[in-house]
Amino acid sequence: MKPFLDLFSQNDFSLIAVVLLMPLLGAFVNGVFGRRLGKQAVRMMALSAVGVSFAAAIATFVALNSAIDATHAAHGEAAHSKLAWLAWEWMRVSGPNGSKIAIDLRFSVDALSGVMMLVVTGVGFLIHVYASEYMIADKGYWRFFCYLNLFIFSMLVLILGDSLPVLFVGWEGVGLCSYLLIGFWYGKLPNAAAGKKAFIANRIGDFGLIVAMFLLVVYCGALDWDGIQRHANDLVATSDRPGPINLWPIGGGKFEDYVIAGIRVPLHNLQPDKPWTITAATAVGLMLFLGATGKSAQIPLYVWLPDAMAGPTPVSALIHAATMVTAGIYLICRLSFVFVLSPAAMIVVAFTGAATALLAATIAVVQNDIKKVLAYSTVSQLGFMVLGVGVGAFTAGFFHVFTHAFFKACLFLGAGSVIHAMHARIHDEARSQDMRNMGGMKKYMPLTYGTFLASTLCIIGFPGTSGFFSKDEILARVLIETPTGVKLANAAAPWQWPSWAPWVLWMMGVAAATLTAFYMMRLVFQTFWGDFRGWTIGRPSQVAKSEHESDHGHAEDEDAEDGDHEHHDDLSQPGPPPHESPRPMTIPLLILAAAAIVAGIFNPAAIKLVVSTFSFLPLEHWLDPVFKDAARGITMAEHHTAHTRELISTFGAFTAFAAGSGLAYWVYVKEKGKPAREMMLKVPRLYRLALEKWRVDEAYDKTVVAGVDALADTAASVDQGIIDFILARLTALIVAATGTILRVFQNGVVHVYAAVMVVGVLALGWFFVQPHADFTVVEQNGDYTLQAGPGPGYEFRWYPDATKDPQTKDFSVADNLKVHVADGKSQTVKLEVKNAFGRVGSKAFTITRPATPTSAAGAVQIREQ
Amino acid sequence: MIPVEHYVALSALLFTIGGVGFLVRRNVIVALMSIEVMLNAVNVALVAFNRLPTHNNAHTGQVFSFFIIAVAAASVAVGLAIVLSLFRIRRTVRSDEADLLKN
Amino acid sequence: MSAMGYAYFYLCATFAILGAIATVAAKNPIRGAMGLLLLILSIAGLFLALHAQFLAAIQLIVYAGAIVVLFLFVIMLLGPSASTPSDHRGRITRVAGAGLFAAAGLGAMALLVGSAPKSTIGPTGYPSPTGDFGSVDAFGRILFSQGLVPFELSSALLMVAIVGAVAVARGRHKSDPGAISGAATLEAENVPHAGQAPRTAGGITREAP
Repeated sequence: MKPFLDLFSQNDFSLIAVVLLMPLLGAFVNGVFGRRLGKQAVRMMALSAVGVSFAAAIATFVALNSAIDATHAAHGEAAHSKLAWLAWEWMRVSGPNGSKIAIDLRFSVDALSGVMMLVVTGVGFLIHVYASEYMIADKGYWRFFCYLNLFIFSMLVLILGDSLPVLFVGWEGVGLCSYLLIGFWYGKLPNAAAGKKAFIANRIGDFGLIVAMFLLVVYCGALDWDGIQRHANDLVATSDRPGPINLWPIGGGKFEDYVIAGIRVPLHNLQPDKPWTITAATAVGLMLFLGATGKSAQIPLYVWLPDAMAGPTPVSALIHAATMVTAGIYLICRLSFVFVLSPAAMIVVAFTGAATALLAATIAVVQNDIKKVLAYSTVSQLGFMVLGVGVGAFTAGFFHVFTHAFFKACLFLGAGSVIHAMHARIHDEARSQDMRNMGGMKKYMPLTYGTFLASTLCIIGFPGTSGFFSKDEILARVLIETPTGVKLANAAAPWQWPSWAPWVLWMMGVAAATLTAFYMMRLVFQTFWGDFRGWTIGRPSQVAKSEHESDHGHAEDEDAEDGDHEHHDDLSQPGPPPHESPRPMTIPLLILAAAAIVAGIFNPAAIKLVVSTFSFLPLEHWLDPVFKDAARGITMAEHHTAHTRELISTFGAFTAFAAGSGLAYWVYVKEKGKPAREMMLKVPRLYRLALEKWRVDEAYDKTVVAGVDALADTAASVDQGIIDFILARLTALIVAATGTILRVFQNGVVHVYAAVMVVGVLALGWFFVQPHADFTVVEQNGDYTLQAGPGPGYEFRWYPDATKDPQTKDFSVADNLKVHVADGKSQTVKLEVKNAFGRVGSKAFTITRPATPTSAAGAVQIREQ
Repeated sequence: MIPVEHYVALSALLFTIGGVGFLVRRNVIVALMSIEVMLNAVNVALVAFNRLPTHNNAHTGQVFSFFIIAVAAASVAVGLAIVLSLFRIRRTVRSDEADLLKN
Repeated sequence: MSAMGYAYFYLCATFAILGAIATVAAKNPIRGAMGLLLLILSIAGLFLALHAQFLAAIQLIVYAGAIVVLFLFVIMLLGPSASTPSDHRGRITRVAGAGLFAAAGLGAMALLVGSAPKSTIGPTGYPSPTGDFGSVDAFGRILFSQGLVPFELSSALLMVAIVGAVAVARGRHKSDPGAISGAATLEAENVPHAGQAPRTAGGITREAP
């Protein structure tokens, strides 16, 4: 491998192009020719595109590793090094102080993006394999893989982009693919609506990202990672010209009393004693985080993610669980050195993450749709990651991104497998995903059950699994790490967190972890344990007559295009039992489950509690150079305290796991769900509220959406009343009336036109036959230069004094004249012009010089005679 | 040598004849030919002016009239094509009957 | 020599004026075309006297050889329809416009002749041009150095004119084989009714019983 990798230099590592462009090629081929190629060719193209990309990513990673080793050897310590590839120079924009900011289409791989790249291409490849079987019956097979490949490409652009604008291109690209894939079955209205919702929610986040870019241009004068890092301190410096950002009065103005018609408007009351300001670091941090809340589904923009489950299940696994939704956390990690400058922004990040984790977990507890539960669990886990990066534990947060990619992808694919099996019996989207119709599946699909259980144990934090290590690490870091900001000589002291904040965050995290354990085990017990409850679903005894018929028709349609499903049109007989999924679906499950179990070895920090000399933390060492700059803004608790708190935290995390899963076992296995039903009856309103997701969507509808609707209505009435009526119709009327009058003259007879033209030609001719005497006067210290205007065949005769003889007797081509006028005198100058037709015209001027000899440039008064 | 004014006078006379022909005649073909007469008149003037000693043996006027000849050829080609097309639509070559754009 | 020169000039000028009048006044367009030819030949003669040998050749080749032939071709194509009967429609505008134009043109001419400096009238003449003034050699050198860009542009203009002429003359029905050449269509249309067989499917024509 080494000779091959030596082909690429570190600053022109064009292998990145292969990683990037293979999925794009796949998308292009599938999108343009896919319909004609047939399903097998599309499958081959899509899989090979992502597969080659994955292989190239591995090679790139190996090269990166050796590059890092080389730097390490050269400097004696781990330094931040990266492989870069410049595609082309994109644009240059003006920066502060007249500088130019070069924005290049440059891609780079460093420790952070390298891991992300491997996860995206690797998990992406497995999900492609799975999807190539899962979607085999779909008519839009080629379309699906075009989008999916395009998604991989966009995600890679997002990860590998070396500057914010390039990242933004990828950011928008994944948003687009997400929209296309959520609404993949666009024939159904809820799917299309869900896609739209995701797109709009993401747009709000994108606004934040764009504003952050503008701020960075102004304050840092750079948009690439290295440039931002170099100038990050400018974001908090008070000495520099832009300075802190004025919140009130907006823009740093001053409110003063305003007197209008004798009435004094006491605006000075609005002026605070001291302007309310925030540092640019806080503003940039909050704006970047607004972008992250959109993409990573945090409060308040998380609402799109549960709806996004309308898309095909592999899409949910790839985009809405494993990769795209972690883009926000990736962005925060990437710009960690900006975030640590502002503890105020960090506390917002941390509390948003904790609140999202808790809120989503409470909703997940009562949901019945298997994909909805997983969706809220994703939101909740994303909350954990954001909580982790919010307290400055970037490695821990990113580690959770890494492990979550495996186990959540596996969970979603497992759920897809279950739905696939259920769908064979129940041809109804909603009911085939309803856990109440499942049960006992472990008997029918052991492989799915095994992998699903393994990844569930990961997500609930069963000791030893990857989820245990990553989640425990986040909770522990909440207690022992606090962002304190960076003290700079030229900056104000950063705001500090209150001392209760870590404990509150930790308790929210533990509560969310407990709920996670409960609802995930509930999911497993309801789906895989007990007896299969689906026998009676879809039978005539259960279904109204009309519904039965529609189901029947649907089944026939399905049969027509999908032969290998064992559909039974005779619904009076019990259908066959659910069956295990085919191999292309189970193999990715197995690989992902195995990876989910063992991924913990990359950062098993919790082992340190037992074996204090343990220091095998590859991920932490690997990412250390990336977060070294950020570490200066994080204060770790003193060693002894830290150890105690880690013990407390781990104990809490384990308790959360044990309590949550134990409760679920008691409720759903021991008591067969009776306590849950009793609870439901006891507090029906609370239950309904949770089932309806705390009615957040409705609240948004009432406030934000209604507000926008009202604005749109106003705009529409303005449009119809003023634009359409007054501007458009009235203008059209005037034009039409004028046209009616003018049309009379258009009699269609060429000779009339020609005659009229002759009149015009005559007028022009007359103008040229007449001589036009004209000149301009330029004065300098009493010397006047007269310059005559040109014309056809003009000859000139000058009279320096109009009362006397001309300068020359004959007309000549001399077109200027110099005269001197003494102070206080005046003189009349005359010009005669003869043109080519022998006609003579004349013009005379009187030049008067003021009597004041002191004024060097005397005003010239020209009076025409 | 003939004074240049003679040529210019001839040119003006030819131009006037061509213009009058264009304005009076309703036959489109004749109108086109009148335009050719006018263009030729202009050429005469240009070439004659080119002989003035002030032009110092430069060919400006001749080159200009060369381009006028090229433009004339192009205009005749398009003009006659339009005549044919008009004849096909209206079965006439009279310009006052070609009033499709009337009003 | 100078008398010969005047005689030559006035001969050519007379023929040119006669040709121009014949062009605009002829009832029959063919005669008009012949008048145009006479005008062109006389002007070529004038060009020769003005040391514009190359232009004289061009005048003969392009005008007499191509343009007049093109006119004749179209006139032949249109046949009897080419000459239009005269009537009084629109006479006032025509005569008024033409009168205005004639007055202006002749007025300008009178102004020019009247204003000409008396000293240049008469056989004083200009110095003979040096070397090969007006020859193909000199003219080509100028054309391909200073006039190169307009020269290339004029080739583009001619190209566009050809394409435009083909497009306009061809008519709208691209699929109709009869419309491929305007000539064929016109000829077919010019034939009186007797010979005109209605075009029917399968080439079956209606026969008189």
